[in-house]
Amino acid sequence: MNVRRTQDGPPPRRRLDGKAGVVAALVGVAVVGGATAAVASMVHGARQRLEDPRAAAQAVAIADDAEVAYCTPAFKVVLQRVLNACGLVGAEQRRGCQPADVKTFASIGDEDFNALFAPLKDRGAVILFDENMDTLDDGAKALLEERWQDRKGARYFFVVARASKDGTVEGNRALSHKRANSVMFHLKQATQDPDLDKQIGLLWLGSEFAQLSKSYCDWPNSRADKRCTPEAINRSAFVSWVDCRL
Amino acid sequence: MKAPDVTRLATAAGAAATLGLVFAAYSTYDYAAQLDRQLHAVHCSFVPGAPAPADGDNPCKTALFSAYSAVLRASWWGGVPISLFAVGAFGFLLAFAVYLALARGRPARWAHAFFAAAALGPLGASLVMGTISLTRLHVLCKLCVGIYVSSAALAAAAIAAWRLVAGDRGEPAAGAPPSQGAARAAPSRHEMLRVLSWAGALGVATLLPAIVYVALLPDYRPFLEKCGKLATAAEPHGSLLKLPTARPTRAVTLFEDPLCPTCKAFHERLVDEGVFEKLDVTLVMFPLDSECNWMVDRALHPGACTMAKAVLCGRADRARAILEWSYEQQDDLARAGKQGADALLAKLRERWGTDLLTCVGAKTTAAQLNQHLHFAANNHIPVSTPQMFLGDRRICDEDTDLGMKYTLAQLAPEVLP
Repeated sequence: MNVRRTQDGPPPRRRLDGKAGVVAALVGVAVVGGATAAVASMVHGARQRLEDPRAAAQAVAIADDAEVAYCTPAFKVVLQRVLNACGLVGAEQRRGCQPADVKTFASIGDEDFNALFAPLKDRGAVILFDENMDTLDDGAKALLEERWQDRKGARYFFVVARASKDGTVEGNRALSHKRANSVMFHLKQATQDPDLDKQIGLLWLGSEFAQLSKSYCDWPNSRADKRCTPEAINRSAFVSWVDCRL
Repeated sequence: MKAPDVTRLATAAGAAATLGLVFAAYSTYDYAAQLDRQLHAVHCSFVPGAPAPADGDNPCKTALFSAYSAVLRASWWGGVPISLFAVGAFGFLLAFAVYLALARGRPARWAHAFFAAAALGPLGASLVMGTISLTRLHVLCKLCVGIYVSSAALAAAAIAAWRLVAGDRGEPAAGAPPSQGAARAAPSRHEMLRVLSWAGALGVATLLPAIVYVALLPDYRPFLEKCGKLATAAEPHGSLLKLPTARPTRAVTLFEDPLCPTCKAFHERLVDEGVFEKLDVTLVMFPLDSECNWMVDRALHPGACTMAKAVLCGRADRARAILEWSYEQQDDLARAGKQGADALLAKLRERWGTDLLTCVGAKTTAAQLNQHLHFAANNHIPVSTPQMFLGDRRICDEDTDLGMKYTLAQLAPEVLP
């Protein structure tokens, strides 16, 4: 190496090199050590937040059935009682509802009971029957299937069958029951849905129950092309999905 | 020797190392913040310290949550972020640049050669990561670009300084024949030891932050099984989809939305990690679009219901292809979804033909999608995507991204390559 030595120490290059080395080593220790300390602090902070996550608790929506505005407390009380009475809740098999029990389990006047379903006007439909008959015509089947397919987020499908005041109380009650079953059987046949029994709540109301007023003729029905009378609208089954959680 | 030039180059290299250190530190900070398993914004700016956007995704977030941002993921939750090694390496190179600058062109022999060789490390890593960003992630993260540019500048300055010194001293340049200047350039034993000690210091500096990071990591095992189970594993109508994979060994149920960017990233992670082909996948469509999903009050991903129906229409043979196509084309499809149904249907017709379109519009398909959504509702899962259930056990959201490989190593090691 072409380095000229001085008389009393290392050559200038080595001295410079040595000083630079010391400074650089200090810088290196400071930078790498500082960075390592910062990393340790970051991990420690994350560990503390992990063990005490209170500050970061975030509300997360949970998937569930639909819940819309008409699901008032009163409506849900009736709905719950209907579902219990019909065996849809807490039982493996549907057992159907006894019409005589409706007033009891609903704990509500029958006019008010009818009024509860008013918000379902656009969601549901009225399936009309011929006098003293329980068979579904083509229009009824089509409307029923259309409404069934329009399930959206609903869990329960209500069928509220009725009979007009013509005839005896017992006869009308039996006829109402048959109409409800016609709806049920058709849906079973048309959809082959294995979950059907857990979804459909059947009610059959005899003529002793409050009749629907003519205003219900404005609701979607299976005979839109025919004249709707107060008697005709009560020879019916009201069907609708119900968008309420229980 | 042109000492002032060499000093200037060493100073420039030091500046580049400092910049690289700052970018790597921010990247590490963002990564370490995720260790608490909560949601955090991710920095993404060429200006170090610029505030991280609190909402939405950005390329830095994509890179951070990708399979390439860390190593040893199966051993530690989240793995060891690559930026940690960069922090240590840049720290060492900064100190070495200080040494070269202070030595004013008269440092120890081989110092410049060593510095140039060491500076190739970050440059090589940057080239590899940059290529992955462009070819696999299709994004360029600004923090990462900052590191790439710093690495390139550092390497350029270090190599230039070395060439200047080597030319002056007659030390062999890279690629030069061994005989050239060999007599004068052969290192003594002392010089060899010195170079080895520098290399050792570089190794220690590079590994130290990572060792400390790993040593302080919490034990994540107790957290892995705390996110619930499927209450009802079976869908009564049998409407859920099975996706074909090469070697299905473990049953999983995936809730996905074809237009959800996180689902796309999750799917790519599963594929990139070599996990997807070993899963026996049951797919549940869970579009976050109010057109069909009553559980959201607005369309978070407009058009997702249509795309979900398209996947359902693919049945067992084409469903996976349609889902992966929707992920590949997600930006285009999301734009089309915002324009309206017609624009989205046109894209579907163009790629998959009119038969698929007819199926997408069928009432039976809408009913099937509705059954998928009711399956989610019956199981009371969180309204978010993606979600993964290993058997009936829900994998926590945090464990589907950074912690995925670690979680699978703990709960289903057979699906790891």
